[in-house]
Amino acid sequence: MAEMHQILLKIGPAAFRIASAWRRPLEELEALYGDYPALTDSSVDFTVRLEPKKPWRRFIRPSVHIGGDFWLPDAAPLPLAQGLLAAEMGMNLQMALGWRRHLLLHASSVEKDGKALVMTGLSGSGKSTLSAMLAERGWRFMGDEFALLDLETGDLVPFPRLISLKNKAIETMQQVVPEHRFGPEMKATPKGDIRHLIPPKAAVARMDETARPALLLFPRFGHAPELRDMGQSEVFVRLTQASTNYVALGESGFEALTRFVDQVPTKAMDYQSGEQAEALIESLWSKLP
Amino acid sequence: MSLKYRAAPKDDLIWHDLDSMTLLFHRPSGITHMLAEPAPAIMEVMQDASLTAGEIASRLSAQFDIESTADAENIVLARLEELSGLGLVARVSS
Repeated sequence: MAEMHQILLKIGPAAFRIASAWRRPLEELEALYGDYPALTDSSVDFTVRLEPKKPWRRFIRPSVHIGGDFWLPDAAPLPLAQGLLAAEMGMNLQMALGWRRHLLLHASSVEKDGKALVMTGLSGSGKSTLSAMLAERGWRFMGDEFALLDLETGDLVPFPRLISLKNKAIETMQQVVPEHRFGPEMKATPKGDIRHLIPPKAAVARMDETARPALLLFPRFGHAPELRDMGQSEVFVRLTQASTNYVALGESGFEALTRFVDQVPTKAMDYQSGEQAEALIESLWSKLP
Repeated sequence: MSLKYRAAPKDDLIWHDLDSMTLLFHRPSGITHMLAEPAPAIMEVMQDASLTAGEIASRLSAQFDIESTADAENIVLARLEELSGLGLVARVSS
């Protein structure tokens, strides 16, 4: 078997081993995760493998096949230049399919004063970009992809991996964040143009600090600014759809999600710009108990 | 002879009321059911007894402000069949 290179990464409560047939994606990961704490022991939760689809493809028109403890048989291989994206997608896949220690919601989250704002919604709702933007404006970034709910306490556990910026969000964040915090720009990937952003230092330094969920938003980009109430039943259904492990967790998932829906005030938020969203969020945040 | 029905054992179910719906988590299957009235009320009045649709309709009319008519019995019967399809209610053979 061909030689594999590897690195270990710790992000919030999860430890990953990324093994790759090529050095390049790992060097890019190392540079971007340089400020994250080193993993002290080698026991990991998940392994992600980046391998050539066929042995000779390691050298000729190399394409990266994502493998690991959990994988999707029909995941298309990516060109080597998108190896970093493949690694990040592989890590997401492991979490989505394999994580059982928390209720996992497809949502971004930021924290202020010990309280967390959770944002969920379909792809393109702007939840990831909003979390990245708020993280540059006094909020602590907790995650742009997965919100982890503690099954016992209901607290939110940070999972502050690299922020995955897509298409227009890249330019928006380039205007406010210095160049050294960005990874390489990957054009025309299956997910559009992608550029990874290193979260602010505080997000990484405090990645073991949980927060109480205080507000849930369903943002929707591209509509005139408005806040709307949502019924509990609709919120519950949409959160089960936003969770990748609700069914697998059984009763403890049910208890965690019903408690979350009971306790966390929720609004649908339409907006057309980051400034509008920030003003709407501040208006809600200032009225929280 | 009318068919009798029995609700799933109490210990198999976790109830949770939301604004307009009732959640029922069914422990043996791990499935979350979302019920709209009158299904939760039917489950509630059945308690541990084996009952016909007619008996359930009269229990409902005693507890809630509805009339126990043949129409009510048909509605209860339709909901019982749906609940039995979900495994929340079982037909009892006697």
